[in-house]
Amino acid sequence: MLPNRSRTSVLVFLLPPLLLYCAAVLFPILQSLVLSFFSWNGISDMEFVGLANYVRMLTADDIFWRSFFNALIYLAICLVLQLGGALVVASLLTSLSRGRELIKTLYLLPAVISTVAIAFLFVRIYSIDPVGLLNQLLHWVGLGSLERAWLSDVNTVLAAVSAPEGWRFTGLYMLIIYAALIAVPKELEEAAVLDGASKWTLFTKIRFPYIRPVWITTTIMATTYGLRGFDIPYLMTNGGPGQSSELLTTYMYKTAFTSTDFGYASTISVFIVIECLIAVGLILFMLKRKAD
Amino acid sequence: MKKLLRAAAIAAAAALALTACGGGGAATDPSNVSPTGEIKPREISWLLSRPADGAVINIMKKLADDYAKEHPGFALNLITTPDRPSYIQKLETLAAANKLPELFDTDATPFAQQLAKQGKMVEADKLLKSLDLYDDYRPGALDYQRFDDGSLYMIPFQFELEFIWYNKALLQKAGVAVPQSLDDIPAMCTALRNAGITPIAIDGQDQWPLERYVAYQPFRAAGPDFVQKLKKGEAAFSDPAGQKTVQWMAELGKAKCFQEGFSAQGYSDAQNQFTSGQAAMYNIGTWELPSLATDKLNPDVRDDIDFFTLPTTSGSVTAANEFVSPSGIGMAVNSKTYDPLVSDFLKFALQKYPAEYAATGALSPTTTVETTVPANATPLYKKALETANTLGEKQAMPWDTQLDPTTNGRLQQELVLLVQGNITPEQFTKTMDDAIKQNAPKFFK
Repeated sequence: MLPNRSRTSVLVFLLPPLLLYCAAVLFPILQSLVLSFFSWNGISDMEFVGLANYVRMLTADDIFWRSFFNALIYLAICLVLQLGGALVVASLLTSLSRGRELIKTLYLLPAVISTVAIAFLFVRIYSIDPVGLLNQLLHWVGLGSLERAWLSDVNTVLAAVSAPEGWRFTGLYMLIIYAALIAVPKELEEAAVLDGASKWTLFTKIRFPYIRPVWITTTIMATTYGLRGFDIPYLMTNGGPGQSSELLTTYMYKTAFTSTDFGYASTISVFIVIECLIAVGLILFMLKRKAD
Repeated sequence: MKKLLRAAAIAAAAALALTACGGGGAATDPSNVSPTGEIKPREISWLLSRPADGAVINIMKKLADDYAKEHPGFALNLITTPDRPSYIQKLETLAAANKLPELFDTDATPFAQQLAKQGKMVEADKLLKSLDLYDDYRPGALDYQRFDDGSLYMIPFQFELEFIWYNKALLQKAGVAVPQSLDDIPAMCTALRNAGITPIAIDGQDQWPLERYVAYQPFRAAGPDFVQKLKKGEAAFSDPAGQKTVQWMAELGKAKCFQEGFSAQGYSDAQNQFTSGQAAMYNIGTWELPSLATDKLNPDVRDDIDFFTLPTTSGSVTAANEFVSPSGIGMAVNSKTYDPLVSDFLKFALQKYPAEYAATGALSPTTTVETTVPANATPLYKKALETANTLGEKQAMPWDTQLDPTTNGRLQQELVLLVQGNITPEQFTKTMDDAIKQNAPKFFK
């Protein structure tokens, strides 16, 4: 800590980033909030419509609700793959004595590939005609009856577009959790083992409580990223077939830039902001309460 | 904190109000096509949606260079976004910011019509007449660019005919003939499927190819007016002509006319299926002549490929020589930046363009020049070009340029579901009629 820390010097250093934050984050959010009370197609005169956009969104728009629930399923799949996958891989890594660096690098690799490349890669993997990797594998292991056009089937498309996003960031979260896991004091673990704790008890009573702060941060990161997911579903299926893989974000984008309904698109974006804030609040509430 | 928030809210509202005022800036008179004054060379821009290395861009680049030799300081900046949905978004965003360049591409969409109504585009018929070029153009090429009220604001640079290309050997293998009526196609697909052949290769990813099919039955049953009424809510999918197309699309789906998983397959996937001899039919326009009617085509299928034009139906109100014959995306002239320089350059370029364009082997939007058949062409090339001489008066408009954007997006989504059998024709009809009822009034006041 600085010996002569004064209020002024703190303000001087904090003010520029705060102003930048206001200009880059708060101002656009406020602008969306204002726009959400208007009907505006970009070239017409702006017409004040009060809460009409909100009423339409919450009561009369079937696509909105469809994409909201799709977004929740998308989020769930991403979280299971990213956090669950990361925790499992990180735990296994700690018990590995050789080749850790190689495996870490391999898992992290997808996080550095461009989104567009990932989207094209998975379109090929899911393809049925010509036969893609997934269908070929199913065929080889004798599950030929499961072969299908994964991205055209309304029952599988949402999971199919969620998986690449989950797969992509598993390595990143694995790295964070792994760093937390190796920081768990060895004495604690050894003491517990001497007391006869099983591997599972060791994990639930010592390791996990120890990494809880890191776990909260990663959960918040993964959740907000998941709720904002856009590029992979947009590139792979553009929300289709029908609205089967439409997320709130892709729907908002289309409303703004295809339908040129900027007022209504702002209403949806305000909803996304609120939804993210609620999600973060819930996570903090649940995990903090458990810790107490 | 409260005070700060309030101040920020007011600032946001004020900024919005300011930009809104800026957006309404008045343009110059759109009917004044011959501005007077000195020609002051400068750089002008053309925002366009055409292939980056295509004939139109190459020719216009060359013409601009020629013009710049006589007018030092002139330059034509071509900014192309070939992907159409991305382009439309770019255009609409620039229009919203009132930052459209001197020249920009657009179809005769409801959005473009709003721009025209606001006086932001120069009247193209007056412009072409003042340059004494109006009568050179094919009437069909100009009609394609017109809005419903007959007004013309866009200049065509292409002329294309859309055919259904087919593989004679595959049809023979399945024991089917070229369809005499649109209604023959579902049964034809079943026969082809039974012979293990994919009936139709389609690019599902881009969505417009499937939307072409929904336009065919109403064009035959009720003529070109149907879609013009439909988009305004004056006709509906529940009408006889509408029901005919809904049922037909469902039948196409049931007969498995399109390749499996078509909704996730792209433009080149579909073309490869056809040119590799896996699919029997492929619906595409003359812009693909260089790959379908020259020695670039796969030698294994080269002798088996032919095309037929859109079949009629019994009781059809349009003739066999009337089908989809688009003149491509048109070029609009921004009235705000229209000055003696832009006018003079257009005069120079539009006069020289047709001859240069026809020399590349493409159909010119004018009748003044003859298209050069390339040396490596198959006999089909000439046959395709000659079809342009016998065209009828009416043309089937692609629906994606007609409907309002929200309804159009919904139609594209619902069509996939209808063809895949995920929704019934009744559900489709109800969803689409509701969508039109909700969205059309905003665009067609």
